[in-house]
Amino acid sequence: MGTETGFELIRVVIGLVLVLAFSQLNALFLVWLERKVAGHIQLRLGPMEVGPHGLLQTIVDGIKLVGKELIVPLAADKKLFVIAPILVFMPALIGFLVLPFGPDLIIRDMNVGVLLVFSFSTFTVLAILAGGWASNNKYALLGAVRSVAQNVAYEIPLLLAAMSVVMMVNSLRFSEIVEAQNRIWFIFVQPVAGLIYLICATAETNRAPFDIPEAESELVAGFHTEYSGMRFGLFFIAEYTNMFVVSAVATSLFFGGWHGPFGFGLGIPGIVWFLIKTYILIFVVMWVRWTFPRVRFDQLMNFSWKFMIPLSLANLVVTAMVLKLL
Amino acid sequence: MAEQFRKPVVDQIYTLNLGPQHPSTHGVLRMLLDLDGEYIVKADPTIGYGHRGHEKMGENRTYKQFMPNTSRMDYLSGMLYNHGFALAVEKLAGIEVPARARYIRVICAELNRISSHLLWFGTYVMDLGGFTPFLYAFDDRERILDLLDRVSGSRLTYSYCRFGGVARDVDSGFVEGTRSFLQRLRSRFPDYHSLVTENVIFIYRTRGVGVVPAELARQYGVTGPNLRACGIAYDVRKVEPYEVYDRFEFEVPVGVNGDALDRYNVRLAEMEQSCRIIEQALDQLPPGPYLNEKAPFRVRPPKGEVYQAFESARGLTAYYLVSDGSACPYRCHIRVPSFGNLHVLEEVLKGTLVADAISILGSIDVVVPEIDR
Amino acid sequence: MARLNEVLEKLRQILPADTLSFRDPSRTGTSCCARVGLDRVREVASIFARGGFFLESLTGLDFQDSKELVYHFNTYEPGARVAVRVLCPHGEAAPTLSDLFRSASWQEREVWEFFGIPFAGHPDLRPLLLPEDADFHPLTKTFGVVNAYRKREEIYG
Repeated sequence: MGTETGFELIRVVIGLVLVLAFSQLNALFLVWLERKVAGHIQLRLGPMEVGPHGLLQTIVDGIKLVGKELIVPLAADKKLFVIAPILVFMPALIGFLVLPFGPDLIIRDMNVGVLLVFSFSTFTVLAILAGGWASNNKYALLGAVRSVAQNVAYEIPLLLAAMSVVMMVNSLRFSEIVEAQNRIWFIFVQPVAGLIYLICATAETNRAPFDIPEAESELVAGFHTEYSGMRFGLFFIAEYTNMFVVSAVATSLFFGGWHGPFGFGLGIPGIVWFLIKTYILIFVVMWVRWTFPRVRFDQLMNFSWKFMIPLSLANLVVTAMVLKLL
Repeated sequence: MAEQFRKPVVDQIYTLNLGPQHPSTHGVLRMLLDLDGEYIVKADPTIGYGHRGHEKMGENRTYKQFMPNTSRMDYLSGMLYNHGFALAVEKLAGIEVPARARYIRVICAELNRISSHLLWFGTYVMDLGGFTPFLYAFDDRERILDLLDRVSGSRLTYSYCRFGGVARDVDSGFVEGTRSFLQRLRSRFPDYHSLVTENVIFIYRTRGVGVVPAELARQYGVTGPNLRACGIAYDVRKVEPYEVYDRFEFEVPVGVNGDALDRYNVRLAEMEQSCRIIEQALDQLPPGPYLNEKAPFRVRPPKGEVYQAFESARGLTAYYLVSDGSACPYRCHIRVPSFGNLHVLEEVLKGTLVADAISILGSIDVVVPEIDR
Repeated sequence: MARLNEVLEKLRQILPADTLSFRDPSRTGTSCCARVGLDRVREVASIFARGGFFLESLTGLDFQDSKELVYHFNTYEPGARVAVRVLCPHGEAAPTLSDLFRSASWQEREVWEFFGIPFAGHPDLRPLLLPEDADFHPLTKTFGVVNAYRKREEIYG
């Protein structure tokens, strides 16, 4: 018994270290990927100078950011101002704990895994609001408030779409959900829920076309106006980490997690399948960003409350009915 | 009881400054907006940040010395402004222009119009958040700039027109290059349409936004694509044909409602019509001299005045020149279309959402330096 | 041509014949030029306003003996541009047209700041392009570098 808990403990510690390392590397990689994808869509090359094909660009940019002065506005709420960028990181890291990277590669396969990820992702909203409020800047607060409204509105259809899958599998445990997809991925069974999930995930991570709170938005510079140097860097990295978590959850819920197509593993380890699918989804999210213009804020809210929520509710009801009949 | 709920939450009106430095590239414009919550109650455009005194300079330069000034007023229609000024002085001084030069000037003017509309297209969609069409439009625009660079020596502020013709002849390379460019541009239009025009997000951001009724347009002297979007087919090239525009077949695209989407559609359709004009001009391009050799080196027009109107990329532009018989004009006034186009926003922006203000401002296609002169 | 002819008819009725001169629009840009006194400007302008014209351009000219305001009215027909010239002695004010043509509010501000001709009845006569505290009038021929300062008859006879 002692060795079991000992092993468990070691396992958890190793897992945490790996998570921390992986999330940083992932963020580095995604920043580079974004710039390359943007470049190629825009008929140009993106970073090419630093390192082969600009691979080391992010590291160099990070070093630059670390070297910048950390300014706290005079009238800002100092504690909140400093805490906010750290707070925004926390939910994503916690989400890593339950992601099913492979059949035995889940750090903690909790029986409420799905619930954990979604409940902690709400904390991001809190952090954004803290950042906007603490900045003591009219425009940052406006951006933060809009972000809160947007996040709350799009969280509901997100959860409802996930619920449709959970209802089918009858479990909140990620490994069971992935196991249930060993023949057919749920995207083919629940296409509506999958689409809703992807759209809401884009809105949750504040990515274009839903990026009003953060983009060089028309007049308001967004909730991270007053942040400079590495604090801004933290917001930035948190966004990409969030993107990874949200795509990984989508892969697990709808795209078969660690399984190959139709169950044919082709000898490739599960984690490789998982990562390939996750990064393809991230690529699609980036692709959408550079293709579409921005949605106006009231249209964004209307779209969620008047269209997405009824649709996801209807999907849930249909799922329930079909499950009852079968 | 119901009254309680109808009282506005925000009682006070606060002023927001859309400062002189804009993320959206329209030139140095400052808009003071009085906001009631999200709605604009009053919009006060403040201009003059780019006033350089061109009209005063016009009184102190000879006619030929003023030609470079003309490009710099509306730098996106540099060739069109050169062209208009050359026409004005030729009318005043009675200088003949050979046919080949006329055709060359029309071709270069229409290429300039297309490049101005392409830039507007790119920046407008970028203002709305779609960053990519900007680069595609600039790719096409680069080719136009290369063509005009080849023939005039500059990319943006040309001083290509002379009184009596043009500075240099065009060679076969220019003609071939223009033809292949037209082919390429025409193949790009379907891309632009599928990427932007048919995009539902774009349509939601522009349909019904910033409606300018035709009567308001008349009150403010709005001209150009903004007026045509309101349904009035007024194009100086058709109504007062100058140069050889009466020899070409082209249509004047017209909108219906006067909203931002109509303005967008009109400008895209105009690009296609300009392509038609250029094609016909290339087909009809006659051999011959490109400059009237007998035109005086130092132009001293007889006493009198002239009012020469032409269609620039933004609307009806006019040079009002008063000559006292000497080598410099006595008065050189330029009527610019962006003056009225911007002024109408004072009324159009009332009652709109702040988020729409950017869309409306972009759709009007103002170049502030031409207002400031 | 209909609108132009209507307006010209009305002008002929109220203005003496020697103040109206007709010319070829393809050579000068305008089809008619009317010389009007300061007292009749609003009357003439209201004819244009009711006739569906817009105030295309408003500018000033500075001569030794007097200043002159030049209005160009136009409508959406070919050859319909009409110029209205108003002599405005130095120091006198002109009536405002900003209630008849809304574009005039900015155009008159511009003429005021560049020529120093005030417009009586203008709701908001402050500089448009120059700084708010500018107290000089740049386009007058007594400001800055001036090439020539002539009497009106030297140019227009």
